[in-house]
Amino acid sequence: MEKVFVLGRDAVPERFELRAGERLKLTLVALPGVSADVPVRVELLGEGAELDAAGLYLCLGDERVNIRMDVRHNVGGCTSRQLFKGIVGGTARSDFYGLIYVARDAQRTEAYQENHNLLLSDEAWALTKPQLEIYADDVACSHGATVGRLNADELFYMRSRGIPEAEARALQMISFLSPVLARIPDEALVAEILRSLENR
Amino acid sequence: MNEILLEIKNLHAKVGEKEILKGVDLVIRRGEVHAVMGPNGAGKSTLSAVLTGRPDYVVTEGSIRYAGKDLLAMSPEERSWAGMFLSFQYPIEIPGVSITNFMKSAINARRKAAGLEELKPAEFLKLMKEKMAFVGMKGEFAKREVNVGFSGGEKKRNEIFQMAMLEPVLAILDETDSGLDVDALKVVADGVNALRSPEKSAIIITHYQKLLESVVPDVVHVLKEGRIVRTGGREIVGIIEQKGFEGIEG
Repeated sequence: MEKVFVLGRDAVPERFELRAGERLKLTLVALPGVSADVPVRVELLGEGAELDAAGLYLCLGDERVNIRMDVRHNVGGCTSRQLFKGIVGGTARSDFYGLIYVARDAQRTEAYQENHNLLLSDEAWALTKPQLEIYADDVACSHGATVGRLNADELFYMRSRGIPEAEARALQMISFLSPVLARIPDEALVAEILRSLENR
Repeated sequence: MNEILLEIKNLHAKVGEKEILKGVDLVIRRGEVHAVMGPNGAGKSTLSAVLTGRPDYVVTEGSIRYAGKDLLAMSPEERSWAGMFLSFQYPIEIPGVSITNFMKSAINARRKAAGLEELKPAEFLKLMKEKMAFVGMKGEFAKREVNVGFSGGEKKRNEIFQMAMLEPVLAILDETDSGLDVDALKVVADGVNALRSPEKSAIIITHYQKLLESVVPDVVHVLKEGRIVRTGGREIVGIIEQKGFEGIEG
């Protein structure tokens, strides 16, 4: 199954169950102006099940977006990937909590998680809480979490070539989001995301 | 004599608490190529940073007029639209942005500022191809992320490529010749020489005389400890080569 959920428009199921060989490609999108609490639990229940989850959240005013990913490798031989990217400005707050649980007998598990955040203002908050709970020994797991700002050297380089500051900032934000944007087949939605990054 | 393009008067500038430029005076007329030479730490890169409006460099005294305007009142992008270009000593990597998109944004922003329509995609591609051939870059170059994974020589070629695309009125080359092999050095020299015209000027900041053999400067300045201590013709380059910067006093 492959599905893009826009928070506030689409109801996001709180629980997915993947049997042997099943694949779920899940993309969550939080547009500016939307506050949401999104708990998603994915149960990997059969060998060869595969989760490919990603998301982007744009909290540019006073939004509160909480994403809680709970990925449970109950059996061995399953793969999960998570890539979540957030841009947080104004007085907004984002909170990403991502748990990877690997049961005792779930050998040959592959589980990866990344959460990266860009802060646009001093009052914005981005919390990131990666959690690993691993009870098997033959696993490949990694997680990475960052909170950063737009790169001043890149901005100056672009401006020195005549790219206006607002456009230079938008270009950097688009490049930051590009791995998640590339997963969205709905061109109108991508255009809406790009428009929301103008003049930030 | 040609019209004055750039006039720097008593320029003082600091980075953080440290004063780097301590009263620079410099006049560049249209059509002239000036070389600025000097030892490490003399303030050469600070001068290029102040001219292009880099944040964190604060002008504390003095003035700069460029093409009749108060340069210090202009944003970095406005300076670019007015024809100023800096070839960076250390070009910046921009992950996720292709050379094509980067140049398209730069060219069209400049056209918009001049009240022109965006360049048609076919015209833009033609221009890209022509300038890529000029600096010896192959087709896949256009798709690469700006400077990401480039060798030192490729980064400098990319600077000259951008310069050729933007056709500046005042090109500033900040040690573009450092660490280049003979072929890359020729690209730089050809790039500057192709821009030479009665309206256009260049400032070449360098340690070495090599580039100045192929791009012959009209005026040579020696910058030491934040001041220009000597201004003259190309004979100064030979004196520096023989005696080093120690041999140059005001």
